[in-house]
Amino acid sequence: MLFEPVILAFDCNWCSYAAADLAGIARLQYPPNLRIIRVMCSGMVHPNLVVEAFQKGADGVMVMGCHPGECHYVDGNEKARRRMAVVVEMLDAMGLEPERFRLVWCSSSEAERFAASVREMTETVRALGPSPYRVQKWSGL
Amino acid sequence: MLKEKSGAVLVVGGGIAGMQAALDLANGGFFVYLAERSGAIGGSMTHWDKVFPSNECSL
Amino acid sequence: MNIEILTLTEVERVEGEVGDFVVTLRESPRYVDMDKCIACGECARVCPAESALESHGGIAPRKAAYLKYPQAVPLKYQIDPQICLYLREGRCGACEKVCPAGAIRFDDTSRIISLEVGSIILAPGFHPFDPSGIRTWGYGLFPHVIRSVDLEPMLSASGPSGGRLLRPGDGKKVRKIAFLQCVGSRDYNKASHGYCSSVCCMSALKEAMIAREQDPDLEVSIFFLDMRTFGKGFERTYERAREKGIRFYRCRVYSLEPSERNDGITFRYITDQGKQAEESFDLVVLSVGMEAHAGCRSLAERTGVELNGNGFAVTSSFAPTATSRPGIYACGTFSGPKDIPQSVVEGSAAAAAATMALMDVRYSRTRQKDFPLEEDTGIQEPRVGVFICHCGSNIAGVVDVADVADYAAGLPSVVHVERNLFTCSQDSQDAMRRTIREKSLNRVVVAACTPRTHEPLFRETLKASGLNENLFEMANIRNQGAWVHAACPEAATAKARDLVRMATAKAGLLEALPPVSVGVIPQALVIGGGVAGMVSALGLADQGFSVHLVEKSSQLGGNARHLSRTWKNESIPGFVEQCSRRIRDHEHITVHLKSTVIHAEGAVGHFRSTIRKHAGSTTVDHGVAVIATGGEAYKSDVYGYEHSQKVLTALEFDKLHLVGDERVRYGQSFVFIQCVGSREPARPYCSKVCCTHSIQSAIVLKEEDPSRSVYILYRDIRAYGQREELYKRARDLGVVFINYELHEKPNVLIQDDEVSVVVWDHVLHEPLRIPADVVILATAIVSNPDIADLARLYKIPVDADGFVQEAHAKLRPVDFATDGLFLAGLAHYPKPIEESVVQAQAAVARAVTVLSNGRILLDSVKARVNPATCDGCALCLDVCPYHAITLENVPGEEDRKIIAVHTARCKGCGACQATCPKDGVEVGGFTYRQLSAQVDAALNAIA
Repeated sequence: MLFEPVILAFDCNWCSYAAADLAGIARLQYPPNLRIIRVMCSGMVHPNLVVEAFQKGADGVMVMGCHPGECHYVDGNEKARRRMAVVVEMLDAMGLEPERFRLVWCSSSEAERFAASVREMTETVRALGPSPYRVQKWSGL
Repeated sequence: MLKEKSGAVLVVGGGIAGMQAALDLANGGFFVYLAERSGAIGGSMTHWDKVFPSNECSL
Repeated sequence: MNIEILTLTEVERVEGEVGDFVVTLRESPRYVDMDKCIACGECARVCPAESALESHGGIAPRKAAYLKYPQAVPLKYQIDPQICLYLREGRCGACEKVCPAGAIRFDDTSRIISLEVGSIILAPGFHPFDPSGIRTWGYGLFPHVIRSVDLEPMLSASGPSGGRLLRPGDGKKVRKIAFLQCVGSRDYNKASHGYCSSVCCMSALKEAMIAREQDPDLEVSIFFLDMRTFGKGFERTYERAREKGIRFYRCRVYSLEPSERNDGITFRYITDQGKQAEESFDLVVLSVGMEAHAGCRSLAERTGVELNGNGFAVTSSFAPTATSRPGIYACGTFSGPKDIPQSVVEGSAAAAAATMALMDVRYSRTRQKDFPLEEDTGIQEPRVGVFICHCGSNIAGVVDVADVADYAAGLPSVVHVERNLFTCSQDSQDAMRRTIREKSLNRVVVAACTPRTHEPLFRETLKASGLNENLFEMANIRNQGAWVHAACPEAATAKARDLVRMATAKAGLLEALPPVSVGVIPQALVIGGGVAGMVSALGLADQGFSVHLVEKSSQLGGNARHLSRTWKNESIPGFVEQCSRRIRDHEHITVHLKSTVIHAEGAVGHFRSTIRKHAGSTTVDHGVAVIATGGEAYKSDVYGYEHSQKVLTALEFDKLHLVGDERVRYGQSFVFIQCVGSREPARPYCSKVCCTHSIQSAIVLKEEDPSRSVYILYRDIRAYGQREELYKRARDLGVVFINYELHEKPNVLIQDDEVSVVVWDHVLHEPLRIPADVVILATAIVSNPDIADLARLYKIPVDADGFVQEAHAKLRPVDFATDGLFLAGLAHYPKPIEESVVQAQAAVARAVTVLSNGRILLDSVKARVNPATCDGCALCLDVCPYHAITLENVPGEEDRKIIAVHTARCKGCGACQATCPKDGVEVGGFTYRQLSAQVDAALNAIA
């Protein structure tokens, strides 16, 4: 069967979530594999939440925030970047490829950048195949 | 002659300066009429959204 | 709610006077019913009439039915009667047939509106200069010449070429690009303007840098007269551009010609070594300036406001937004060329000025909504209602909404599901209110468009139904669903089901969040008694609020006490004297001289600051504070300053000139040296005022005695805006301007009592020795060193140069990131007196938005402690950008500390929540559990 990856994204309300809205207004087309969870700031996303998403079978996770220097809350995106370094280490321990996780900066006007990043992520994850956690779920383990 | 003052202000032009004036007036207790020549406010700023991407000025 | 937007509307005439104007306006027909249009874009999709129209951003094809820009406010389409086939020829009408909302109104007509207002603010904006038809520039003649406004969209990643710089016309990749500055500006030839447009240097730098970032091999050259990067942070950008290898040539380019085989543009220029050169470029960008458009002139005529010869409104330095007609104010580029932050500052300042005379009728015309008492839903089991919007065919045309509705009905806690053609329409909202009541819903999920535009509307409906507005969640199945997956309806439907499931899962965990408000003490603290502080204090006091004005020295006036004339030749001492006198006599102002603030606590609405004077101290409670601590002149032993009585700083020179000192009175040769301490590695910023100041002084010296020799040695003359006229006047009077570079500064030679200055002559290419009776150093403005203490007290950021950092460089130029704190004057950045005045007035307007409210409502998305799990590890204290978290003792438990959140300071960013290892702190509306429920819901159905 054809594998359709499931990708979760935590999108900052002020930038990437708005860019996703703008992508809609511009009728840009991107793969339907993404599920967005709106947050007020990328700096609000606890690393455990990302890990939890992987444990529950997400094939990929994106955290999308404002460009450096453009955070609505001074420097939440910088905090996210530092924090997400931990996630990358944990992925390794979980036996997951680092490419399954991606931090993307995207302003509210960058609809094309948003769409492109979703396309890329979908293709990357598709190439990696289903997450072992998802396979576990399939097999009912 | 005692005249009645109006607690409303007219702002002509819905660009960045006019919008800022309108917001501060309304938040300061005045009713604002914001008259814009074109079909939408935003003015010249909307052509430069590359640099000033956030839509923080929207009402 | 208290702003009524009147689009397509122009002023016809103004009658009456300040306090009670009667304004007649004309609203042109839109041909689209604003109440019905849902901005689905169907009309534009089917519209067959397209026309290439000149718009601000260049020539772009546009349909007759169109939206001005994607995020337009109001988000409503309009029909251009110049293009529309139906309106022109009575045929077509395609849009009317497809409009799902029935919003097309071909019979729309123009309408006359009459308004009674207390004052009027004019902000009609500008147009970019049109270089068409001027042979020199070749615009419109040669395809490879474009305007800076045309380049902007070409570089955009969302533009047609995805950000790659391709030449219009032939699509060739651009390898060499040239920017020509001052097109239409600083040019007294016909059709051009004498003034400097103030913004084009930065926009060229910005575009050059973006183009280079996208293609590091791109060769970029900028041909300029003076690089005028005078604003905050601008000089650093200029330096970065140089470091990145962008080439700069100081020369005016006079004639453009097509290259051989018409493959680009060739022109001659003068190199830095003074040699003639000829070079070809793939693309030439004209940095066009700004000009007042025809609408500005007609608006001025209809409102009875005086314009100057440049077409800009006449204003004074001390009332920078007041026009010639009392009660009518100007802001933005209407009163002269300026950039975004300065326009924003003026917008606020005009708001302050326009309401000075209206303070007694504040709140007489504004409305406030009343809502029913909120139901206590805390103990109830979740009863979720799901409303699925078709959005006409926008959603329903792709997503199988019936399937999604069936699916939603089976989800946990869902007790009601319905579908609406338009959930946002007024009748749907009325019905929703009834349904919430009848079915005792205590959570609402709307699956429709985006919460960024529509959440406020639905929240109002919840409030009107007696539900807490936070018991609401949206599933974005249009912008992030139907619209982006139009080609795969099945996948779009599956995604919509997932999004509804995620929203419903979160909704079940939503709690009522209490509205957060703080009481406001209607009193202000102004720190600094210079011009910015004085104008702030007077403005606030005139608006009816009491003010404490703190000044460190023994008198008011600050640096302005040493200045004599503005660039418009207005008397500064008179203004300072008038301000001081009004402050002394003002019933609402308490002045604290020889005083400093030594302690501060609290947050917006209620700060408490301690002011020390001599041995005693006073405590003041205040709702807001304005930081106007000013700056001072840089002093250093350069250019022989400490070795000769003939080498003076600009301020010393002014004083000696005023008192008729012999050195000045009998002096025959004067040499001004610019950028003393500015634009150097230690202070990589421009002090903004010195060029104009030196030019003013030079003009006075020449006017007093035309036989004098006056030299100005400069790096770039930054007589921005209409100050350029002074520069021209100085040249006409015979003032000699000699350019020098940072690496070859002038030398001041002192022998006995003789002083001379040696500078490299770029025309003769040899050193030039100028005997000088007086050398005047245009020294930098540096920040007041006291700012460090205040920054610590009020937790305000200070930049690398020691100036305070505003909340947003462009859009919030007088606010601090911390609510309730505002800035003005030299503390922010060097600036001339008129800009300090306007910034201080802006600070007044911003402060009044806080002070005029008895209570201020804050966003209820706030962090809160979970006392059961917080163990007082304090990790969250450091990450909070607003210093809103403190560590407190737990009452009754001696050894235990947990955190406390200062709700007024918290902005709900959640940095704390993401840092806490123990789930001890969370943000209401976005708690870990709620986000986790969304994660779980997104993944629990995967197979």
